[in-house]
Amino acid sequence: MRVSPKTDRRANVLLCVLCTILIVSVIGGNVLLNCVTRYNTASSQVRSWKESLDAAEAGGDVAYAEIRKTILDRTHAFSGWTYSGGVYSNSPITFGRDNLSTSSKVDLFHYDSNGNPWYRIRTNGTSPVMGLRRVTMDDRMGVGTRGDSLLRKIDFNYDHFIATYGPNGDNVGKTLLPVTQPQITRRVELIAAPMTPFEAAIKANGLFYGLGSAAYIDSYRSTAGAYDPNVKNNPSDPRYVDSHSGTVEINSSVATIMGSIYGNVYTNGGTVTKNTTSISGIIDNNVPFTLPPFYMPDTSLWTYVANPSAVTGNTTINPPAAGTAGSPNYYLMTSFATNGSLTVNAYTSNGTVQETYVAVHVTGDVGSSSGQGATITIADHVHLQLYFDGNFGAKAQNIINNSGFAGNLQIYGISPTDPSVQQTIALNSGGGSTAGFDATFYAPSANFTVNGGPDFVGAIVCKAFYSNGNVHWHYDRQLDNIGDAVDYRIVSYVEDTR
Amino acid sequence: MKLASSQKITGFTLSELLVTVSLSSIILAAAITSAVALQKSFSAADNYLATHIQQVRIIDYLNRDVKRGLIVTTSVDLQSVTMTLPNYLIQAGDPEAVNPSLIGTPRTPTIAYTSNGWQVNYSPSTTTVVYSINGNSIVRVENGVVTTIASSTDQLVPQTTDVDLANTEYASTTVTFMPVFNLAGNTADRTGTTLFATAYLRNKRRG
Repeated sequence: MRVSPKTDRRANVLLCVLCTILIVSVIGGNVLLNCVTRYNTASSQVRSWKESLDAAEAGGDVAYAEIRKTILDRTHAFSGWTYSGGVYSNSPITFGRDNLSTSSKVDLFHYDSNGNPWYRIRTNGTSPVMGLRRVTMDDRMGVGTRGDSLLRKIDFNYDHFIATYGPNGDNVGKTLLPVTQPQITRRVELIAAPMTPFEAAIKANGLFYGLGSAAYIDSYRSTAGAYDPNVKNNPSDPRYVDSHSGTVEINSSVATIMGSIYGNVYTNGGTVTKNTTSISGIIDNNVPFTLPPFYMPDTSLWTYVANPSAVTGNTTINPPAAGTAGSPNYYLMTSFATNGSLTVNAYTSNGTVQETYVAVHVTGDVGSSSGQGATITIADHVHLQLYFDGNFGAKAQNIINNSGFAGNLQIYGISPTDPSVQQTIALNSGGGSTAGFDATFYAPSANFTVNGGPDFVGAIVCKAFYSNGNVHWHYDRQLDNIGDAVDYRIVSYVEDTR
Repeated sequence: MKLASSQKITGFTLSELLVTVSLSSIILAAAITSAVALQKSFSAADNYLATHIQQVRIIDYLNRDVKRGLIVTTSVDLQSVTMTLPNYLIQAGDPEAVNPSLIGTPRTPTIAYTSNGWQVNYSPSTTTVVYSINGNSIVRVENGVVTTIASSTDQLVPQTTDVDLANTEYASTTVTFMPVFNLAGNTADRTGTTLFATAYLRNKRRG
């Protein structure tokens, strides 16, 4: 018998190579997949963390817009929000491609010395976390050291904040609240502060002409001492720093600027240069701004006093109480005679004169631009806010503020509801008088005219400004926090990082 | 009977064996080398991504604190940042903490008028936070409590520049590292990893 083993033992090298490559590729692919997956998960969580802050800040913007409406559009402020326990709340708003959501709470937590409310906004923003329910690369931090999860607190199954600190973060109402999908929520607290109107010596929304060639605008700070005309030229005087803030802001490219300005000049597209006038500060011809119409403030907290109800001849107000900035004695007057004289006295308690707060709303004109015009006299310790719906006309020397502080006599022009009606404020210096007065005017819809050369301490916000006299205008820097709120700004930002 | 001696015994010749062994060795060596190289590459890529995530974390920590900071200062070498933060929460030892239920709850701020305008204050005291490099780690120290926020052998280096202008203040931060795969420590290897971010102080204290 013939045995034929016929064994063809040829090594299949190609097969071995292919298998090797396959194994190596599988290992490599697995490592790459693992690496990329973890990176993608980390990236997704970083994105969610950042977007949740975007959502929270968007919620803050929504709340801030409602707060601004309390001044600019009061009837629609917080419309659709719920009010309970002094707190406004809105329903969660979902927006954006990534289904971000936000909700806010707003409460009035403080009244300042002007009686203006300050609001606190607490807002939270939530962003879903896509990908796997797991933390990512914080194992790279070493044994027992957390990285990402310490910063980015992800709610995989339950809302950790409500479980640990309660829904308002005050340790009240703690509960396990399941989440439908992994999410990150961030919380910020904002403070909205009222903006008062007198941040510059003159602020004109339109045309500007003035002052006289020998006029000047400078500044001082009344809390640092009485006005001294020599300080602005004496750098060694400690009050010098407050003497060059006689700033003029013009929201127009058309302005004729004369005299000396110890402060800055801003225009909206103008061509003011150092050569055109004497300006000590900076010139910026690209500073646009908006002056919204001014409406009568909310009087619901004011103390209404029935009489007097008009200024006819010589009219005196003797307030029945001192009042406060937030709740002044409030007089509603139907008229102010063209030559009428209004005197406001301070309230006295047990022989002691009190700081007395008075608000007067005249629903028509105050005085007249011709003739004698209005006379307004306030005693020391009186804080008068005079609102008028029509026009204002007086001689400069007939505005008598015995306190010497311009912030104690604030005159507000209510914007006409009919835009075709042009409101005016006219101040004349009778007989070339240089008698001064201390007052502030806020009338964004009024054309303001001052003739002659009075010595003026205060500030004016108006539509158009015209002055042909050699006015000596002194802006009191203390006025920058005085007056009714005309808008709000965010002044504080804190994130609750728990 | 004559046995058939024609039994054909097949086998490898020496030269075949030598060729086979040589080829196998070469293939095996190539395979092992490839596997090791692959592993190194993937490890380096993985490490790069992990360190990159740590860069992002450093930036996020810094920016979160800068945004709510009152004051930010940096060291001369820009590698250490000191911040003053408002004390938003009532903590044990604070005056309000005489009522233990208030510990951990937010404060209601107070308002003060200064020569630089209105200021919102959560507490007379503030929190100090310092970021610095400690060996291979980046640490955040809040009122003495140390937290390692990033740690890598890739030499992470954050540098923060604080810019204080008349009406605003911001901090610009760059974070770089030296990746495992580099060309003998070439500077370009580090600069190529630069991550940059800017955050504004929203509570800037003027003056």
